[in-house]
Amino acid sequence: MSAEAIFQPLRFRNLEIKNRVLRSNVAGRLDDYDGGGTQTRINWELKFARGGVGAIVSSWTAVDERGKIVPGFAGIERDERIPFWRELGERVHEHDCKFIVQLAHAGRQRDVPTVTFAKGLSSTDKPDPLHGFEAERATTADLEEIKRSFASAARRAREAGLDGVEIHGANGYIFTQFLSSAINDRQDSYGGTLENRARFLLETVRAVRGAVGHDFHVQVKISTTEHADAFLPWLGKGNTIDDSVQVCRWLEEAGADAIHVSSGSTFPHPENPAGEFSLEDMVRTYDVMLSSGVHTFRNYLMFRLWPANQVMKRRWERDPAEVPGRCLPDSEAVKRAVAIPVIVTGGFQQASLIAGAIERGACDAVSIARGLVANNDLVELFRQGHDLPPRPCTYCNKCLYNVLEHPIGCYDESRFASREEMIEQVMSVYTPAA
Amino acid sequence: MIFEPLELGVLTVRNRILRSSVGGRFDNYDGSGTPVRINWDLRFARSGVGAIISSNAPIHPRGAIVPGYAHIDSDDTIPFWRELGTRVHEHGCPYILQLVHAGRERILPFLQWEKGLSSTNEAEPLNGFPAQAMTLAEIQEVVEMFAAAARRAQEASLDGVEVAGANGMLPTQFLSSGINDRRDAYGGPLENRARFGLEIVRAIRKAVGPDYCVGYKISIQERLDELLPWLPKGNTLEESLQMCRWLEEAGADYLHVSAGGGFPHPRNPAGEFPAAQIVKTYDTMLSSGKHTFRNYLTFRTPPFNRAFGWWWTRPLRDREVEGINLGESRAVKQVVSIPVVVTGGFQTASVIARAIERGDCDGVTIARPLVANPDLVRHFEQGLDRAPRPCTYCNKCLFSFVEHPLACYEEARFDSREEMLREALSVYEGVEAPSEAA
Repeated sequence: MSAEAIFQPLRFRNLEIKNRVLRSNVAGRLDDYDGGGTQTRINWELKFARGGVGAIVSSWTAVDERGKIVPGFAGIERDERIPFWRELGERVHEHDCKFIVQLAHAGRQRDVPTVTFAKGLSSTDKPDPLHGFEAERATTADLEEIKRSFASAARRAREAGLDGVEIHGANGYIFTQFLSSAINDRQDSYGGTLENRARFLLETVRAVRGAVGHDFHVQVKISTTEHADAFLPWLGKGNTIDDSVQVCRWLEEAGADAIHVSSGSTFPHPENPAGEFSLEDMVRTYDVMLSSGVHTFRNYLMFRLWPANQVMKRRWERDPAEVPGRCLPDSEAVKRAVAIPVIVTGGFQQASLIAGAIERGACDAVSIARGLVANNDLVELFRQGHDLPPRPCTYCNKCLYNVLEHPIGCYDESRFASREEMIEQVMSVYTPAA
Repeated sequence: MIFEPLELGVLTVRNRILRSSVGGRFDNYDGSGTPVRINWDLRFARSGVGAIISSNAPIHPRGAIVPGYAHIDSDDTIPFWRELGTRVHEHGCPYILQLVHAGRERILPFLQWEKGLSSTNEAEPLNGFPAQAMTLAEIQEVVEMFAAAARRAQEASLDGVEVAGANGMLPTQFLSSGINDRRDAYGGPLENRARFGLEIVRAIRKAVGPDYCVGYKISIQERLDELLPWLPKGNTLEESLQMCRWLEEAGADYLHVSAGGGFPHPRNPAGEFPAAQIVKTYDTMLSSGKHTFRNYLTFRTPPFNRAFGWWWTRPLRDREVEGINLGESRAVKQVVSIPVVVTGGFQTASVIARAIERGDCDGVTIARPLVANPDLVRHFEQGLDRAPRPCTYCNKCLFSFVEHPLACYEEARFDSREEMLREALSVYEGVEAPSEAA
C-alpha cells in the first residue's frame, strides 16, 4: 500500500503529529478588522481538523499592528487575543489534530494596509517592485521591537495551549526582505553577506526560543529558492538553494525544531502557488490592491487590459514544471544538511507522490493549502485508498484571487455540480454562526 | 423643542433627534450580525438620541449594497436583531430597522449575481454598475420580501421599519423619471413609477398590522444632473410631493426626507469631495462597474479628480450644508399630515429647534455629526448649541468605510492621529472571543 508512509506519526523534538500531512497556512478575511478572532475562523479550521490532517498551521497571524498583511485575519498581537486562540485550539484538539500558529510580519508586503500605518517596515526603503508597496527602512531599534513582538506572540501561543509556532520566514514577508540578496540593500550588520542578511531571522528564532523555553515546538518556514526575477526580469535572482541550505543549518543551530520549505521572493509568486494566473478573477479583484502600492496606473493596465494581461499571464505561467512536488528537490537538499524534520509545500494532493517523497527521504512531511481547500477531507480519502481525490484541485488559483473580496473557498466551478453548489461550499464557513 | 417626544404612528420617539442610517462593514460576509454592530449602535443608544434608524439591512443578498452588513433576509436573522434591539432598549432608545434593496446600486456585489435588479437594463451612470430590468414576477417577489422582512423586524421586537426609498436604492430606480425606462404598469407616468414603492408600503402594512411604525425615506430632489451633467434632472418637486401624499394614503406613519437620485450625491452627504481619501479607496470599487478606466482617471488622477471635486461641490456654492433639505421638508409638511423628519448635516441645536418651531419638520435625523460626536444630544442637554469639535462635513468617514471601520477620519478634530485611530478602532472593544455555538 503506497500511502503507508503518510500515516506514520511524525516525531519532532517537542511535538508528535499523527500523520505526515499538515494543513499549510491558508487564510481568508474571516475575522474583525482589528484582528479579533471570530467563530468563522473556528469553523474554517475545524473543516481541516475533521478532515484528518495531522496538524494545522494557522492562517497568517500578525505579531503586531504594523506587520499586518490585510485586515480581517485574527492576530496574536496582544494578550486579549489569548482566549480566542485557546478556544480555537481546544476545538481543533477534539479531533486529535495539532495546532501551530504561524507568526508573521508583512514588512512592506502589505496587500491591503490597515489604516494605522502608511508605510511598512523593511530592510530597505525601496517599494516592492511589483505593486509598489511603500517601505520604510527599519532601524535597529525597530528590529529589536519586532523581535520582542515575535517572542511575546510565541509566549501567547503557548499560554493559549497551542502546540507550537511557525516563524514565517518565507514568501516575501519581512524575513525574506532581509534574507534576500535581491531585496536587502542595507549597509549595516543586517545587510551585505548572507550571514548578515540571516541575522534578523536567527535572532528572532533565539528570542522566540528564549520566550517559550526548550520544550515547545518552534519551526521556521523559508523560501529556499527565491526566483526573484521570475516575473519582473530586471530584478536579481535572489537567494539560491545553496544560500538557503546554509541558512537552514544556522536555523537548526539557533534552535528550530523543523524547517518548512517553500519558494518565491514574494507572495503570490509564479512558483508559489504555482499554477494558473486566473485573469477573469484578477480583473474583478486586483483593483482592491491598486491603491496599496504606487504602481497603480502601470498595474491597472497590466492586470486589467488586454493584451497586456495576456502577456503577463504567459510570463507568470511560463515554467512548465509540474505543479505538485515542485519544491521537492529543494527540500531534499535541506534534508541532507540538517537533522531536524523537513516539511515541504507545493501542490501536493496525490498519496503516492507524498509517500514516495517521504520514503526516499526528500522530506518528512508535506503541507497542503489549495489541495485541502478543494478537498477538506483529502487525508480521509487517502485513508480510504484514493491516490488522488475524485475531484482534485486544478491549481486554477481562483481561491487565492478571490480572497481579498470574498470568503476563502474553492472557486473552480468545474469541480462542482453547479455554481449554486460551489457558492454553498464557499458560504459554509459561516455555519454555525457565533 | 428638541427634547419633546415625537409620535411616529404608534411609536413614541423620546426626542426630536434620530440617528440616521449609518454604519460600517461590521458584520460577516454572509449577512450574519456580529457583536461589533451591537457595539456600534449602543454608542448612540447610550448617548440619548430619540431613536436609532439601523444601518441599511438588506432584505435579500442580491439587494445588498456591500458585504458586511447584517441582513434581514431570513428568519434565521431574527435572534441577532432581537439581541440588538434588547440591548438598545436597555437605554430607553427605540430601534427602527431600515429595509433596503439596493437594486443596481451595489458598490461591491456578492459573488452570486452578476447584475443588480432594477427598473431598467441601463447600468448605473456614475460607476457603471450593471442592471437587469425586473420582470413582473420579480417585482412581486421583492415586494413580498419587504413585507417578510418587516414581519421579522416585528417578531424581533424592534420598534418599526423604514423603507429605504431614497438615495438611488431600488424604489428610487422605479420612482425616478431619470432612471425608469419601463413601458409596463411600473413605468411611464408618475402613477406607474410610484406603484412599486406604494405596493411595498401596503404589503408591509398588511404584514405588520396597523399598530406598527412604518416609515419611508424619499429623495425629494433627485437632481441626477448634479451627479453627471448629461443626465436628466429626475423627478420634479411637484412629483415628489405627490408621491408623499400617496405614501400617506398607503399607510406610511412618517416620511424621511433626503436628497439625491444616487448615493453618494453632492446633496447627500453634502460637503467635501476628499480626493486624497478617494485615491486610497475608490480602487476597491473599480471593478464593480464598467466605467473602470474613466473612473480610474476621474477619481484617482490629478487634475481630473480635482476637477470632479470642483463639480461635486458646486451645488453647495449657494447652500449651507446644515439644513440643506429643509426647504423640501417644509414643502412635504404642507402636503401631508403625518410627521416629517429630515436629514442633512444637522448639528446645531438652535438650527434644529428653529426648524421644528417654524414647522419645516417634526424632527431631524443625523449621521455624520453623530459619527463625529456620538454624544451630541448630551451636549445639547448641557446647553451647548454645537459640539466643541463639530463635524466638518469632510466626508472622510464615507469614503473610508469600504476598506476601514466606519469612523471620523478628520484628523483636525483630534489631538493626534493616534487618538483618531484609537477612536476608529474602539468599536471593536469588548467584542468577546466566540463561545461554543450550540
